[in-house]
Amino acid sequence: MIGLLSYLVFFSTLAGILAIAVLGLNLQWGNTGLFNGGVVAFFGAGGYATLILGGTPQGAHLGGFDLPYGLALGGGILIAGLLAWGVGLLTLRLRHDYLAIATFGVAVAFENLVRNAQGLAGGASGVRGFERPLSDLLGAGLSYNIAFLAFVLTALALTYLGLERLIRGPFGRLLRAIREDETAARALGKTPDRVRLVAFIAGSVIMGLAGGLYATFYAFISPQDVLPILTFQIWAMLIVGGAGNNRGAIAGAFLIWGAWTASGWALSRFAPVDVQLYTGSIQFVLIGLVIVGMLLWRPQGLFPERLVVSQSGQPDR
Amino acid sequence: MTRSKTFSRAGLMLGVTFVAASLGGAAAAQSCTTKIGAVLPTSVDWGKPIAATAQFAVDQVNEAGGVNGCQIEMVLRDSQVDPKVGVDAAKALVDLDGIDVLLGAVSSGVSMPILTSVTVPSGVMQMSCCSSSTVFTGLAEEGKTEGLWFRTFATSGVQAAMGAKVAADQGYKSVAVLYKNDDWGQDIGKLVAEDLASLGIEVTGSVALNDGQPSYRAEVTEALRGKPEAIYLALYPKEGIAAVREWISLGGTQNMIVANSLKSEEFVENVGLQFLGNTLGTDTASPRAASADAFVASYTEKFGGAPTGPGLANSYDAAMIALLAMQAAGEGASGAEIAAQIGRVTNPEGMPITADGAGFTKAAEVLAGGGDVFYQGATGNVQFDANGDVSAPAVIWSFSDAGISEEEYVSLDDVNAFMAGLD
Repeated sequence: MIGLLSYLVFFSTLAGILAIAVLGLNLQWGNTGLFNGGVVAFFGAGGYATLILGGTPQGAHLGGFDLPYGLALGGGILIAGLLAWGVGLLTLRLRHDYLAIATFGVAVAFENLVRNAQGLAGGASGVRGFERPLSDLLGAGLSYNIAFLAFVLTALALTYLGLERLIRGPFGRLLRAIREDETAARALGKTPDRVRLVAFIAGSVIMGLAGGLYATFYAFISPQDVLPILTFQIWAMLIVGGAGNNRGAIAGAFLIWGAWTASGWALSRFAPVDVQLYTGSIQFVLIGLVIVGMLLWRPQGLFPERLVVSQSGQPDR
Repeated sequence: MTRSKTFSRAGLMLGVTFVAASLGGAAAAQSCTTKIGAVLPTSVDWGKPIAATAQFAVDQVNEAGGVNGCQIEMVLRDSQVDPKVGVDAAKALVDLDGIDVLLGAVSSGVSMPILTSVTVPSGVMQMSCCSSSTVFTGLAEEGKTEGLWFRTFATSGVQAAMGAKVAADQGYKSVAVLYKNDDWGQDIGKLVAEDLASLGIEVTGSVALNDGQPSYRAEVTEALRGKPEAIYLALYPKEGIAAVREWISLGGTQNMIVANSLKSEEFVENVGLQFLGNTLGTDTASPRAASADAFVASYTEKFGGAPTGPGLANSYDAAMIALLAMQAAGEGASGAEIAAQIGRVTNPEGMPITADGAGFTKAAEVLAGGGDVFYQGATGNVQFDANGDVSAPAVIWSFSDAGISEEEYVSLDDVNAFMAGLD
């Protein structure tokens, strides 16, 4: 029983961290219509910066500033925001698939940067030497994981509540107006370029937070953590959950990550020994089928976006 | 069932491990199952045989009666070479299957988060066949692995030192280094450059090669610029073939020194044996040991082909040593207790035992009598240092019509002496 609890705590922590990243993407894609194909770059920037700022000194590369955890995580978020600012200025004039390709390129460039810049980020062997915050006080076992889960869930709840407030207010309406018809928004005197940049940075900052928590949880990050597969996974979570709906984004993260891990567990337990060697391939097929099925039969996701008329007295559109 | 039994026994056994070890043999004949975990990249081509080889070792031990009278069930999970997936799989194995021993993972980028966030906090012994990063040594030196981490893949240090030794023995004055741009390649590329420099050999350039490029002309041209007398290659066959073809066609020297990753028929066939006459390779395995031959023979019988893929012998040894340590620690031992027994089963003063079912049976008898054993593995006589790293004897080999020919055998003592002579 204690084992099951311990595993569920561990699982929920990672799912919660991924859910935060999905919320960030939902702000960009679901609400503003920005196709960010480089989620891992901002996730990774947050993770790497947190470890470099908060880690113990390491001989081989930059880092080991040993800052208090709050500052390290804040620094990680800041770096992710700065990266988004630079990338946003350069690429946000692009539309749709062009933006996707450009941001995907940024993510690949980021991975290659950390893989090669040994003096900056430890190269392919990654960054370690990170003391998990409060580990002296809480020990290393289940109690620590429960405390960390509480921390992650708090961050998730704050992000969710903040985003809900944001998108229900005038700014949210502006984002959706730009998403639906940018020219019309411009005609009404809005400045879509600036608003798109703000939404892009805000979403990326949230991804940076997720990355910082992720790196804290593992106390390690390497280029293998920022491969394009993560972007794909986070997109799959948003599509299955329902783009444009924050609750859907969270549900999608838990469901897809749950399916990803549960299918591996079930195959290792119930598949015959001869088939065991192929469980990985079978798993990819199963997950692919789930996503294809979703897109075919419920493309709006499990929790579709609810479009509401937020000003009374206006006729339905 | 087994788990709750294991847990209640764990309480009883605390502090009386040695008594338990001596009773272990007598407790045989029960039908019970002990689980061990494996997290390996089975969705990758070269990962499947690594997992199959670990299972092969488990099968041999089961045929010989199992560990402490219990059959071993290896629960295999796929890491998909994704750290998140690998860590989750490891955590599920520890929490849901109640394992005390974990085999894996292959890439250092997966093994490391498993170690820091799963096995060390849970007190589970982790033994990797194939993770080579020097980062693990640093972590162990800081005491953060708590003695739970082992790997049967010799660190890149031995390979790099042997590469430098070949260059010195051949009298090369200048060498260029080409390495694969991953953790293994970066480590070995850096180490070999340092070793060469400390032997007074000029390193004319160190060039990284990224995966999956159709051509390496730019990288090869850069390496050619220093006009080196010889070239050191820490590459895998895929990029090795492309780079060496371009190297030779651009007039590069045929004096090549290669790491064990290029010890493959694919490489010879695609480059051409006529260009590889002056190529010398290094490897940490010890084909001199009868046990290594025995492994090759039993593997060939089981799988219908020789174990030529990367990491197979290491995977076999990782599984076998883990099972021997479980036998030595006795029933219901914790991960830390099992890890503490590793020294007893790889003790050079102990009774030598072979790497097969019969060897396991014999080891069980010796261990039950309170003696130590010296495991003669598929990779030679494996010995771990305080950081869980293996040093190993080395061979220097060359390509020939017959396949791979051994040129020189460097014993463990000679390897250690040579490495001590480098800075």
